[in-house]
Amino acid sequence: MKGGGRRPCGSRFLFAGLGFLACMAGTPQAMAQVSAAPVVAPVPASTGSDDPTVYQPVDKDERGLWLMMDEDERKFRTDPAVIRDPALNAYVREVLCKLASPGRCAHIRIYITRTPHFNASMAPNGVMQVWSGLLLRTRNEAQLAAVLGHEYSHFENKHTLQLWREVRRKTNAASWINLIPYAGLVSLGLLTSIFDFSREQEREADEGGLTHMAAAGYDTHEAAVVWENLRAEMDATAVVRRTKSRKDRDRGLFETHPPSAERVATLTELARKTPGVPGATGADRYRAALAPMWASFVDDQLKLNDFGGSEFLLKALAGANWTPQLLYARAELYRRRAQAGDLPQARDFYTAAISGGGDLPELWRGRGLTLQKLGAAEQARADFTEYLRRAPNAPDKAMITILTGGS
Amino acid sequence: MNRFTLASALALAGSLLSAPAEAKYTVVTHGGPALAAGGITVNPAEDWNRDSRKPIKKGEVWTLDGPSLNALYFVSGLAAGETLYRDADKKNRPLPKMNGSMLLTDIPEFFESSARVALNTSLFEVSNVAPVKLGGHDAVRFSYRYAVQGSSLIRNGVAQGTLIKGQLYLIDFAAPSLFYYERDAPKAEAIMASARL
Repeated sequence: MKGGGRRPCGSRFLFAGLGFLACMAGTPQAMAQVSAAPVVAPVPASTGSDDPTVYQPVDKDERGLWLMMDEDERKFRTDPAVIRDPALNAYVREVLCKLASPGRCAHIRIYITRTPHFNASMAPNGVMQVWSGLLLRTRNEAQLAAVLGHEYSHFENKHTLQLWREVRRKTNAASWINLIPYAGLVSLGLLTSIFDFSREQEREADEGGLTHMAAAGYDTHEAAVVWENLRAEMDATAVVRRTKSRKDRDRGLFETHPPSAERVATLTELARKTPGVPGATGADRYRAALAPMWASFVDDQLKLNDFGGSEFLLKALAGANWTPQLLYARAELYRRRAQAGDLPQARDFYTAAISGGGDLPELWRGRGLTLQKLGAAEQARADFTEYLRRAPNAPDKAMITILTGGS
Repeated sequence: MNRFTLASALALAGSLLSAPAEAKYTVVTHGGPALAAGGITVNPAEDWNRDSRKPIKKGEVWTLDGPSLNALYFVSGLAAGETLYRDADKKNRPLPKMNGSMLLTDIPEFFESSARVALNTSLFEVSNVAPVKLGGHDAVRFSYRYAVQGSSLIRNGVAQGTLIKGQLYLIDFAAPSLFYYERDAPKAEAIMASARL
C-alpha cells in the first residue's frame, strides 16, 4: 500500500479492498483520498494442493467442511472490511509463524478485518480472522501471541471438524445442516452454548496456545492478562450504561471465547507451570507495528457509543503517558458525549494535547466546537480560524467558515 | 451473521425497518405537496412509495424500487433523548441519543455514529460537510459512503439536516453506488430542496 501520503493519523485502509483509501485523522471530516496499487488477495492453498507438506482433508466430512470454508474465504477477496496494509499483515504473520510449525504457517491465510470488537477465529482450511478490535486491546506481542496461539491450537487439533461431528452425532440431519454456516468461520460459539464439548476444546486450545507461546519465547503470564483486561473493560462499559457486566455471560459477541474467571485462573495456573521467558512481552515491537493503525482503530472505537469501554481503553493505552494523540481521542470522546461536565473536560484535553505538541488540525476544530457550546464564542472563532489555516482543504471547510463569521 | 446478511441486503434506513415481511406501500403521487413523517412537506416530481413500516415514531421511509435500492428517510422533530433509528439492542449496542445542546456541525457526527452502531460496521465515512438551507432554515448537508461487514457492495448517501428548537429535522437518501445512487440522488436532492418544515 504505497503512496499513503503520511498524514498525522496514518490510517489509510478504509475501503482499501476497492483501491480506495482514506485517512481519517480521528474525525470523519478529515479525510483525504489517495491512490494505491491494489493488493492481490492470497490464494487458498487448501483443498487440492499437491504440495506434500500441506495437510489435506482425509475423509468426506473433512473435505466437505473445507470446501465450504474455501467458499466462505472467497468473500474476503473483495470484502472492503479486510485490511490489506502489507506491513500490518506481515507483522501478524510474523507473530503467528513464531508459534506455528513453519510448514503449516506458510499455508495459513490471515485476514485482518476492520471490526472494532475483540475476536479472532480460525477455520479448518487454514483461514485465520483477526479483528481490528482485538489489535486495539492486546497491549503487547505476547498477548497477541496468546490469542493467535489459541486459535492455531484449534486448527492444529481439528476442533471444528470434531465439533461438527459431535453436532451431527447429537442432532438429526435436518438440524445440523442448518448449522453448517456457523460451524467454521465465525460462529463456532453458537454451538458453545449447546455443547460442553466445545468448552473442552477451549481449554485444550488455551493449553496448546500457552505451550506454543512458551516455545516461542514469550512470557506466558500475558495470556491471562488478555482476559483480565477484557473483563475489566466489560465492567467499565456496564457501569456507564448502567447495565450488568457481560463478563460472565456465555452468549453474545464474546461467546466464542468467554472471558470467564475460571479461564483466567486456569491460564494463570498453566503459566506458573510453563512460564516461557518471563518479561519477554515484545511491547515495544508491538507498539511500533501498530502505531500507524492506532488513530483509525481508536476512531472506530469512539464511534461505538460505548463511553465507559472507550475511556477504559484510552486509559489503558496511555498508561502514564498521555500522548497528544490519545488526549485528542479522549477530548473527542467527551465532546461527542457532551453530558454535564463533559465539555470543560474536553476543552482541557484539547488544550493539553496542543500544549503537549499536538499539531493535528482537528484539535483546533474540536476545541472550537467545544468552546462554542461553552459560550466562549470569541475563543471558538480563533480556534476555527486556526483549524482552517492548518487544514485549508478540510472537508467541512464551508461549514466551519460560517462559524468563524466569514463567508 | 443473520444480522449482517439482512443489513447488507438493504440500504441504510431500509435495513433498520422492523418486520421486513410485512411491508406495505402506498403511493405518494407526484405534482402535489406531500407530508412526510408527520412534519415535512415536500413536492416530489415523480411517484414514490411510502413504506408502512416506520424505523421510529418520527421517521418514515420512501422508496422508488424498494428500500434496498433507494431509500429516502425523513425524520421530523427528533427530540433530546431520542434515537435516529430503532434502538433494537439497547443492552449491547445502544444507539446514540439526541442531545439538546447539539449544533448543526454535530448532525453529521450523530448520523455517522448512529449508522455505525445500527449497521454494525466501521466502514462508514462522511465527506463534503457544507451549509445549506432546508425549508428556509440554516442546515447542514453532507455525503457519506458505507459498506456492511461481509458485503462488498458500497452504498452512497446524501443528507440534509437542521435543528429547530433543539429538535432534529433530517432528510437522508441512500442507494448502492452502482447505478442507483447516480440515477436517483438528483431526485432526492430536488425533494430536499422543496422541503417545508
